[in-house]
Amino acid sequence: MGYFIATVDSLWTTFKQALREPTTVNYPFEQRERAPRIRASFALTHDANGEENCIGCKKCENVCPSEVITVVAGKRTSPVTNKGRGYADDFTLNLQACIICELCVQVCPTDAIIMTQEQEKPTFSREGLTLTMDKLYANEKQKRWAWANATVLWDQQDPERGAEKKEEPSAETTSSEGAS
Amino acid sequence: MNEALELLANPWIHGFVFGAVIVTALMSVTAYITWFERKFAARLHSRMGPTMVGPKGLLQPIADGLKMIQKEDIVPRDADRLLFNAAPAITLFFALAVAAVIPFSPGLLASNLDIGVLYALAVSGLMGFPVWVGAWASNNKYALFGGMRAVAQAISYEIPMVLSALVPVVLAGSLSIGQIVEYQIEHGWFAFWPPGPGIFAFVLFMLTALAEGNRIPFDIPEAESELVAGPTTEYTGIKFGLFASAEYIHSLLASALGAALFLGGWDGPFGIPVFWMLLKTCMLFVGVTWIRWTLLRFRSDQLMALCWVYLVPGALGLLLITGLYVHVRG
Repeated sequence: MGYFIATVDSLWTTFKQALREPTTVNYPFEQRERAPRIRASFALTHDANGEENCIGCKKCENVCPSEVITVVAGKRTSPVTNKGRGYADDFTLNLQACIICELCVQVCPTDAIIMTQEQEKPTFSREGLTLTMDKLYANEKQKRWAWANATVLWDQQDPERGAEKKEEPSAETTSSEGAS
Repeated sequence: MNEALELLANPWIHGFVFGAVIVTALMSVTAYITWFERKFAARLHSRMGPTMVGPKGLLQPIADGLKMIQKEDIVPRDADRLLFNAAPAITLFFALAVAAVIPFSPGLLASNLDIGVLYALAVSGLMGFPVWVGAWASNNKYALFGGMRAVAQAISYEIPMVLSALVPVVLAGSLSIGQIVEYQIEHGWFAFWPPGPGIFAFVLFMLTALAEGNRIPFDIPEAESELVAGPTTEYTGIKFGLFASAEYIHSLLASALGAALFLGGWDGPFGIPVFWMLLKTCMLFVGVTWIRWTLLRFRSDQLMALCWVYLVPGALGLLLITGLYVHVRG
């Protein structure tokens, strides 16, 4: 008898469900509102003078757990400051194997790589999800940025990072005083 | 015109013409039934279902059909080629053959057999065996297990199905489906009148029809989580498509048979008879689909226990009550 009641009950549940509007939307043509802190895809940024932020230090390539980032480092004279500096001659991020851990954003010393709130569109080919340097710089203009970059994350982790060196001796003395 | 009508009076030509019409209609309806099922299942799951191919995904069945035909047709090296290739066609043949005796309206039936009920149940019962042939010919252990289960299930559930179908036969005193429908038009639908055995026999019939058609909650032969795809494991492309469409046609015709035997067939308050028959069939098929996308699969021994411990004695009891009722009625 219990089985019978459970059967009728589940049929009733699905019947009620059938009368409702579907909860899913016709992705990718429609998209629901995302959580404010969503991080979905990547972009490379320019600074205020219109110069590329990336200096080709390869920190992101080294930290990437799934090894999807490839940076080709180069050195050129900057057209803005007329001084030599490092550049990324090529920057590739294979989004198919990316685990969206954001470590590359966290290690970036110049806030060059950031994440965006909008996902890449599903594609029919593998190449569609390989973010080349052109695509990453295009994403900077086209997609809304996520809330974080390296500086913001560091400040959150350690608000007194800039004052670190000055306060180091005093911190030592307080700790030794506490011990004695 | 008159000559054409005279030609139609010949049972061979009549059967051929109406058979062709019904089979063509049935195949195209089956294609769209898959679209309906996917949409309906999506709504039960709070999803959207097919949306990409055509407006509201309406061209999806055509895309599916093209896909099935284009897929590579693989015959396993150790398979029995002849039986392996023949099995899907034979299954579909038996599934379609049931349609011959189903009266969609007083005029629209391929053959008004005196033993229509017997024929329909026998032929739909035979459907389990070409599935087994295909499973055996595949030379694959999962297919073999699936085929064994399919045959065991078909044999077991044949009995309560026949017993429940005997209730309207006893009430109407005829094995011809057309005469059973006409009796119902005169005396009321068997599902409701006489109250009691009819409605139980109707539920039992639809339940066993689900089991015969290997539909959830009785899809133990297929059992994706245990047996890959059961008897159809080794089948690809259009051969798998034939098996799948045979299953749909079987469900659809079981719904039509249920509508004819218990719900008064083409009987309706107004309008053309065929509309009412199709409406009832569709309502029953919606019910079958609803059950399919709601319930879970039985275990194999639970299935057998359900059949032999509850359904067979229950069906025998119903038949006894019906017999007594007919005896008292005189």
